[in-house]
Amino acid sequence: MRHHYWEWPIPTYLFLGGLGGGIFCLAAILSFFVYPDVPMMGEVLAWPGFLGICALGFGCIMLVVDLGQPMVFYRAFVKSTSVLAWGARFLTVCAIFGVLWFASYVPWDWFAPIAGFLVPFRGFCLAIAGLSGTCIMLYTGIFLSTLKAHAFWATPALPVLFTVSALSTACAAIALSIGWWPAPFTLESVIVAELSKEILHTVDIILVVVEIVVLLVMVLSFLGAGNKTANKAAHRWVHGSYAPLFWGGMIFGGLLLPEILYVFGGHSAASTLVAPVLVLLGGLLLRFMVVLSDDRAPLPGEDRYYTRIADKDDKFVKAWTYGENIF
Amino acid sequence: MTEIDIHADDVKMVKSLCYFCHANCGVLAYVKDGDVIKIEGDPDYSNQGGLCCRGTSALLHLNHPARVNHVLKRVGEKGEGKWEQIDYDQAIQEVADRLNQIKAESGAEAVASAGGTTRTDDWARRRFLNQFGTPNGFHNALLCWIPTFMAETCVAGWSPFETDLGAARCLILWGMNPGASTLGGMHGYWDLHNAGMKMIVVDPRYSETASKADLWLPLRPGSDAALALAMLNVIIYEGLANYDFIGQWCSGYEELTEHVAQYTPEWAAPITWLEPEQIRTAARMYATNTPGCIQWGCTWDQLGTASTTTSLTLALMRAVCGNLDVPGGDGMPGPALNFLTDEEMEANECLPEEQKAKQIGSDKFKLTSWPGYTLISDNARRTWGKTLPAEWFCEAHGPSVFKAIITGDPYPVRALIVNATNPVNSYGDAKMTLEALKRCEFLVTVEYWMTPTALLSDYVFPAAGALERPTIVTHYGATDSFLGGKRAIQPLYDRHTDMVFWRKLGLACGQDPANWPWETEEEAYYHIMEPLGLPISCYDDFVSMIRMYYPPLHQKKFEANGGFWTPSGKVELNSTIMQELGFPGMPEYVGCIENEIDTPEIAEEYPVVLTTGGGFMPYHHSEHFQMQGIRFLYPDPYFSINPALAEKLGIEYGDWCWIETRRGRIKMRANVDNETHPNVVFAPRGWWFPERDGSADLANPFGCLESNVNVLTSVDEEDCDPMGGSWANRGLMCKVYKCGEFDAEFTAEDAQFSIPGNAKEPGIHAKPSERPLAREPRPFTKPEPEIEVPEGYEWVWQNNTLYQKGTNFRLDASGWLINPRTKGYHDAYTGWRYDAAGEYLVDDETGKIYTMEREEIPFLGGVRGYPGAEAAPFEMPEHLRWNVEAGYAMLPDRQLVYDPNSGWMIDPETGAYHDAYYGYKYDAATQQLVDENTGNRFTMTYEPVVE
Amino acid sequence: MTRYVMVIDQRRCIGCHSCTVACRTWNDLPLDIVYNPVLTEGVKGTWPNVHRSWLPTLCMHCEKPACVPCCPTGASHQDEDGVVWIDYDKCMACLACVNACPYGMRDQSKLQPRLHRFVRKCTFCRDHRAADPGAEPYCVATCHQKARIFGDLDDPNSEVSKLIGSVETVRLLEDLGTGPQIYYIPELGGKA
Repeated sequence: MRHHYWEWPIPTYLFLGGLGGGIFCLAAILSFFVYPDVPMMGEVLAWPGFLGICALGFGCIMLVVDLGQPMVFYRAFVKSTSVLAWGARFLTVCAIFGVLWFASYVPWDWFAPIAGFLVPFRGFCLAIAGLSGTCIMLYTGIFLSTLKAHAFWATPALPVLFTVSALSTACAAIALSIGWWPAPFTLESVIVAELSKEILHTVDIILVVVEIVVLLVMVLSFLGAGNKTANKAAHRWVHGSYAPLFWGGMIFGGLLLPEILYVFGGHSAASTLVAPVLVLLGGLLLRFMVVLSDDRAPLPGEDRYYTRIADKDDKFVKAWTYGENIF
Repeated sequence: MTEIDIHADDVKMVKSLCYFCHANCGVLAYVKDGDVIKIEGDPDYSNQGGLCCRGTSALLHLNHPARVNHVLKRVGEKGEGKWEQIDYDQAIQEVADRLNQIKAESGAEAVASAGGTTRTDDWARRRFLNQFGTPNGFHNALLCWIPTFMAETCVAGWSPFETDLGAARCLILWGMNPGASTLGGMHGYWDLHNAGMKMIVVDPRYSETASKADLWLPLRPGSDAALALAMLNVIIYEGLANYDFIGQWCSGYEELTEHVAQYTPEWAAPITWLEPEQIRTAARMYATNTPGCIQWGCTWDQLGTASTTTSLTLALMRAVCGNLDVPGGDGMPGPALNFLTDEEMEANECLPEEQKAKQIGSDKFKLTSWPGYTLISDNARRTWGKTLPAEWFCEAHGPSVFKAIITGDPYPVRALIVNATNPVNSYGDAKMTLEALKRCEFLVTVEYWMTPTALLSDYVFPAAGALERPTIVTHYGATDSFLGGKRAIQPLYDRHTDMVFWRKLGLACGQDPANWPWETEEEAYYHIMEPLGLPISCYDDFVSMIRMYYPPLHQKKFEANGGFWTPSGKVELNSTIMQELGFPGMPEYVGCIENEIDTPEIAEEYPVVLTTGGGFMPYHHSEHFQMQGIRFLYPDPYFSINPALAEKLGIEYGDWCWIETRRGRIKMRANVDNETHPNVVFAPRGWWFPERDGSADLANPFGCLESNVNVLTSVDEEDCDPMGGSWANRGLMCKVYKCGEFDAEFTAEDAQFSIPGNAKEPGIHAKPSERPLAREPRPFTKPEPEIEVPEGYEWVWQNNTLYQKGTNFRLDASGWLINPRTKGYHDAYTGWRYDAAGEYLVDDETGKIYTMEREEIPFLGGVRGYPGAEAAPFEMPEHLRWNVEAGYAMLPDRQLVYDPNSGWMIDPETGAYHDAYYGYKYDAATQQLVDENTGNRFTMTYEPVVE
Repeated sequence: MTRYVMVIDQRRCIGCHSCTVACRTWNDLPLDIVYNPVLTEGVKGTWPNVHRSWLPTLCMHCEKPACVPCCPTGASHQDEDGVVWIDYDKCMACLACVNACPYGMRDQSKLQPRLHRFVRKCTFCRDHRAADPGAEPYCVATCHQKARIFGDLDDPNSEVSKLIGSVETVRLLEDLGTGPQIYYIPELGGKA
């Protein structure tokens, strides 16, 4: 069976895109619904927002790098009906408005005119970035799940899982970075940051639990389900070649361990530092494992055919170039 | 990519023929400005528009960057790969000078020539060699049809190879897999099979064709002789033979009945690994569904010791079932009686008898060399009036020539011209062959590619290939039909066609230009077909307008002929020619060279049966490994091994493994598949690695030994067929094991040669001329003539008849000679033909006509005269005068002669017609008569014409 | 209306790969691109009771192709006659369609320059047929066995219509709901 068409940039992008989208989603929620009246809220969230922009930007680079023709990436914006085209738009919109929002907080003097100009639009920008960020989180999973050729992706659980994971990793990222520059080092901002952290901490505890449940439901339901292809992939996850990564890496290292640290770690570094990092790594691992599980139902004899034909690196492939006569 | 427009005005379509295998499918080539821009299968040819991978790749082949395009002269050490490009004609002269020098020093026989599978005629090579004076030309013909053809010809007078499948009810494909070789044929077989024709496939491998068969006999590789004999036994002892046919047309049936009694299916079962019932079923299916065909397959010629025994048995099987030359049976075309045969192009008369006697291998493998050929050919001349080519059918024994190069036994062979073959990969015992090429003092190669052989050569000449040469199909000069294709373009670069190469070399060697009158193939082919009298003025006309010439279908020719074309006139079930050559006249079982029953000691060490030599898509012989588009689909050599055996040996799909016989070992990858018996492996032939640097490893240049099954085959004298000389690709004993971590590389040690073949004792250990054969010759004494043999005549003991030497006409009891071709009577003294209609004799050489008293008859303006006759021997108009002296009826005042056949007067000077009453000239344009004196014109009824 | 389909007669196929090579030769494909692999599971059964069949494949030119709606640029396109093809001037090789195809019939060539790859697939020789209206796809024309039959399903007199109407045919992975338009006449005793 031919698969693994997508190489490492795509899962990396799926992770970063979800992370970036999640950060703006959470930033918007925190700003508009949780602490709508707290003045320093924007400043303490600016740095996480910047990280979100970086994630989106780097994710975009990954996406473009993986193209066969990176120079014409703009073609993605032409057609309106495909999930992927919508994704590209959300990504762009989120990144642009995120940048505008962040720019309004940049405290450099020379930048003041621009920042000052943008200040009135802060709320608007964050709202747009938050909305499109949410769409990014949703679309990555939806996109994969619409590719029905890959039975392991073709489940409604996948968008849920990706969204929860995106939010969870965003929580972790914000918790790690909230309150840094350009927020002024004042008591107020520290308090706002700490309060936000507490909330994120609690939210992430819940998200991780949800993620464990969704992940197990998805994988274990495939394990028992009739679709041979998905079943085969699930077997690989549960007790096949992916099992160490799945159980040890994702379930334990990426979800259970940080959960334990969150719950029992109090305010120790284990809880505030190690656990979020583990959550982030777990999110990355999840994307890789899912993308690599792109099993198709093989046509009869397909495996045999493709193992037998030549490799593109075989010597004879490059031994002769037409137009260059040897003798 | 922009689409090529083949309908543009400046694009010319050329009817060509494919040249990548023997099927020679029809190809339409589209040519623009001297470039072939596209090809496609010809829908109006037998391939019905189909083209296989090889045919489709013709353009890539034409322009492949690795093609040899110029003459390469070696400047470094042999094999070093250092070349100088030199002018073609200069190279020809240098080679010719060297050949002449060797001839002067060591005799012409010290020059030999190796060929492969030229996919058309190859008489030009023979024409050169005959004039040069060497009998040592050879091809890989012994593995391909020739021994079979000779055995079949001994039985019935020609090989019955043209199957008439349309009317056949049963077809045996014996060791033949058209599903991977002749795809156009496969289409036909499948359609006919679908329409109800029974299809029996005999193949140890579950081949592409076996997948579609009614009955498949998966015999032990190499046991074909036993299976064939047992089937013959069943047909005879179950009373399934065609007794009318046998009674009327065959001789020796009682002897045969007695002889095959021993070969029961129960006897054959342990040899063939088949159930006796399977053998009976097959025999019954063939014998009760008549008419039927047995399609020739290469296997019969690749069984080594048992080769000709097998084909002889199958020839008898056809005969006793009455399937010879009947509708729905195996047709015997005979030589081309209506156009020139290849034999007539070979100039065999130029080769002196004493040189023929020096042909290497002719003292051992007589059936396919001058001794056997002479008997068979003389008989063919006496029965058909023409004969089969000496090219292919009468050649030196290739492996023996290679051994002679190494050992100097029976005499040194110093120069070898290799054209259209890479012997390392296509001849048996590759290690010995490679050594011979290395030791050959002067090696010249004509090639498309830098093969291992070309690498070791002193000169490499570029060869023109498909699309660059006209191609004809006359089945190597063995049939009476003629199919042709044009060249699409002239050869590119400095490439030349084979005939041009041999012609140039011949002229440079000092051969008589009168013997090489044709500068191109087209001229030669036109010369060949001129006797057909077709309305064409050149060869290209033939292709454009006719393309396929078939003589009026002559089935049951033996009835019109009054017998078969054997010395006795019967189908000889106990062949007298075979006996005369010292062979058994009926097939006597002989096992293949290595098997569990005859050689248990070998089977103990090498327990697995290896079979090879079969064709496999997408390659042909050792060709096409450079064609990347093809190679990509099949990049590595895969041998087939049954899962049960693979499991036992710890081999998994794709593992590199060693296959080892007593002669050596090679590496291939395992295709674990149920394609073969659990104790059989099937290995593809011909493998080499042209992408490698040949000079880097001269022990194994281009990896030509590494995965080459011919490292495993034997050409030892006792392993060859004692009649035809072919060696075994089928039924060898081997062992198979996975390449170990420290034993994964093919080393120089693996490449060491040995004579006789034995990997454990490298080097020369025996003189080939002293080795025994698989079966000692059976002395045969020709009976003494029972009648007096006049000078100039030969007595044939089989039918107690005299034949005139030279013409090979039979001396009839009436005292006349009878021409076998025309059945016409000839005067025994002058050879002049008797014309029954005119009751006179005709000298066909001069066209002159003689009376029965052998006096010349004059002709004036095409009208026969009767000088001296008192009166006209025919009715003539009264007003004409009979000229006694001249013997013509004439007008009193005019020098016009009366033609009694047409009733017109003929002007002997001009041949013009004049009316018999007034002598007016007939004007064909106006259909009027003209009075030449007055210029007046008249109608045909003598009405004056008013202008 | 015209609806191009292909009938593949597995009873006739002998696995010679001519279609693959004709396709790659005349469509000028990079070496690592195969539009129409001829698959086989090898010889099945236990010696000597064995069986084998070949499965010539190509793009299924589905009624509801999964590869078209997922394309973000509109390069992946279906004509009214059912032919699915890629407009190279629009493709950026994101491989969405490659991953969407349940049959694995699309890919980009790794032998092309890294920044100039696009996704390729069988087009039923769309350009070739446009240039030469009488022509059949290369894989069809070259087949000695006539195992591939191409034609218009909407024309009741076409060979494909007659075959599909008279012989039992099967289609690959039909349950995915894409409506593949390659109809297989299975080898007796085997399965597609």
